[in-house]
Amino acid sequence: MNRSLLITTDPIDEAKLIAGRSLSAGMGAVVAFSGVVREREGDGAIAALDYTCFVPMAEHQFHRLFDRLAGRGTVESVRLVHRIGRVAVGEASLWVEVVSAHRAEAFEACQWLIDEMKRVVPIWKQAVPVTPTDPPAPAGSVPATAPSDPHPPA
Amino acid sequence: MTIRVTFWSYFAELAGCSETGVELPEGATVGALLQRVYVDHPALAGLRRSTLVAVGVEYQDDTHVLSPGDRVSLFPPVQGG
Repeated sequence: MNRSLLITTDPIDEAKLIAGRSLSAGMGAVVAFSGVVREREGDGAIAALDYTCFVPMAEHQFHRLFDRLAGRGTVESVRLVHRIGRVAVGEASLWVEVVSAHRAEAFEACQWLIDEMKRVVPIWKQAVPVTPTDPPAPAGSVPATAPSDPHPPA
Repeated sequence: MTIRVTFWSYFAELAGCSETGVELPEGATVGALLQRVYVDHPALAGLRRSTLVAVGVEYQDDTHVLSPGDRVSLFPPVQGG
């Protein structure tokens, strides 16, 4: 199974990632997920989320999850980018792509990977409240890719 | 032996530092380390049930025996995505 992992403070360039996609002729499903920072966290309006990460352990735990995906024998490739540092409302904090022969395997693997990430990968977020000087989030700034629910209520 | 302990996320604020050293006898476990940490940093004691512990880059439980030079990380539940 091909794998790619990037933990970065740089903005996630989804167009560039899609342009770099590679899949063999036997693959019929590509599932790509973007997790985007919402304008509200809990009951409050926020301007951004600050992500911190224990990077060596995060990389190790991500690769352990990739190993488990590879063990299924149904996923040809997985690519994952997690942004850390300050991520403004409307910007992506996570991008995941899974390629497999059939859609059921690709959707399930993508969902599983994100669920497990939220359980074992040491990344934390802290809300940055909106202040009176912050401009409002631009309308339509949240991409329409679905599903897109990276921060479910606790 | 001296075990280096790193506090991540809001655990650093509660501990009042991001890193500390804990002196323990050879053969001490993660559980023994936590008991010492909670004496020195009582604000963390109430969060014990939700505290995650890693030695190096692997999760470990209270029974894990520490070795000289181990680096231990304590942190709250993770929140990636």
